[in-house]
Amino acid sequence: MRDRDIDDILKQAAQAKQDVDPALLNRISMSIGSSLQPVRALPPAWILASGLALICGTVAFAGAMLLGPHGVQKMSAVEIGLIFSVLSIFVWLAAMLCVAEAIPGSRRPIAPWLLVASGCIGLAGAFGLLFHDYRTGRFVSQGLPCLNAGLIHALPACLAAWLFLRRGLAVNPVAAGLAKGTLAGLAGVTMLELHCPNFETLHLMVWHIAVIPISGAAGALAAYLVAHNTRALSRRQKTRSRSR
Amino acid sequence: MDSDIDLQPLMARYQQGDYDAATALVNRLSPQLHRFFLAQFVSRSHADDLLQETWLRIHEVRHTYRRGQPVLPWLYAIARNIRVDHYRKASRAKGREDRLDERSDIPEAPPGRSAQTPDLEALLADLPVSQREVIAMLKVSGMSLEEVARATSSTVGSVKQKAHRAYDKLRKGLAGMGMASVRRGGLS
Repeated sequence: MRDRDIDDILKQAAQAKQDVDPALLNRISMSIGSSLQPVRALPPAWILASGLALICGTVAFAGAMLLGPHGVQKMSAVEIGLIFSVLSIFVWLAAMLCVAEAIPGSRRPIAPWLLVASGCIGLAGAFGLLFHDYRTGRFVSQGLPCLNAGLIHALPACLAAWLFLRRGLAVNPVAAGLAKGTLAGLAGVTMLELHCPNFETLHLMVWHIAVIPISGAAGALAAYLVAHNTRALSRRQKTRSRSR
Repeated sequence: MDSDIDLQPLMARYQQGDYDAATALVNRLSPQLHRFFLAQFVSRSHADDLLQETWLRIHEVRHTYRRGQPVLPWLYAIARNIRVDHYRKASRAKGREDRLDERSDIPEAPPGRSAQTPDLEALLADLPVSQREVIAMLKVSGMSLEEVARATSSTVGSVKQKAHRAYDKLRKGLAGMGMASVRRGGLS
C-alpha cells in the first residue's frame, strides 16, 4: 500500500465527520459574547525580544557598576569584542526563544536545551581562544563568589523577564522557564565578564559558565512548581464549586 | 478545512470585539477541533467539554494572537495544551497513565456509516499519542508540516519523522484489517 492510498483512506475517514451539536456551538458563542471586549494584541516578537535584551543588559550593567567594572577595564579590545559579541548573540537568541515560548504557535529559533548547551560551548570556546592561564590556585574559594554573584544577578533578570512577558501564554511552562532562566543566566555571566578581573581559563570556563545551566535549571524547576501548584489550585476550586 | 488566510481577518476582528467574527470563528473551527479531540481517544462528551474549555482559553488569551501570523498553529497549540491537561487529569484520576490507549473510550461509529468505511479513531488506535496528534493535524485539519511544527513546538523534521513512522504503522494496521482489498473493492 502506497502513502497516497493511506492519504485517501485518512481523508475519507476524516470527511465522515460527526457534526458538533449546534446547541454546544451556540453556548460557546454566547459565553464568549458575554465578555467580548476589544483587546490589545501583543507587540511584534522583535519588540518583545528587544525589551528582554534591554532588561538583561541593564541588570548586567547596573550590577557591574555596583561591584566595579574591573574585568572589562582589564580586557583588550579583541577580548571585549569577542566575548561580548558571543554574549550578545546568545542573549538575543534566548530573548527570541522566551518570546516564542510565551506565544502559542510561534516558531522556535532554537530548542531550549540546545540554547543552554550551545551557550555554554560557545562561551567556553571564546574563553579557550582568548585566555591561556591554566593555573588553578584558589580555584574553589575564588570561584564560588563569582558563581554566587552571577546567580544573584540572574534572579532580578528572571523576575523582570517574567513580568515583561506576563501577558503571554506559555503552553509548555517548563520550556518557558528554562528559556527565561537561561536568559537570566546570560545576564549573570555578562555582569561577571564586566566585573571579574580573574582571567584564569578554568575559572572562567567553570564558575562563570556554570551560571547559565544552573539558572536555566532553576527557571525550569520554578516554572514546573508554579504550573503544578496552579493546576492543583484550579482543581481544588473546581471541586469546591461542584460540591456547592 | 479552512484556509488560514481567511481566518486571519476574522481573528483580527475578534480581537477588536466583533461578535459576528467570534461566532464565525467558533462555527468554522469547532468541527475540526472537535474531530482533533476525538482522534485523541476521548469520548464524545469529553470532546465537547474540551472544545468548550479550548474556546474559553482562546477567549482569555486572544491578545496573544499576532496579526499576520497563521491562526491554526496558534489555535492548535492552545487546544493541544488543553488536551495535555486533560490527559494528565485522566491519568491521575484513573491511576493508569500508561493505559490511556484503552479502546473502551473510543466513540462508536455513528449510525449510517458504512461498515467498510474506515473509522478515523479506529485507524489511529495503534499509534502513540504524539504520532496520532501529528496525523490528526495533518489529515483532519489539513495543516502544513510547518504549521504542525509550530503548533507542537517542534521542528519540521521531527513532524515528518513522526508522520513517516505513523504511516508505517498505519500501513501494517491497514494490511491487517484487509484495507488494501477493501480499497480495491471500491472504497477509493
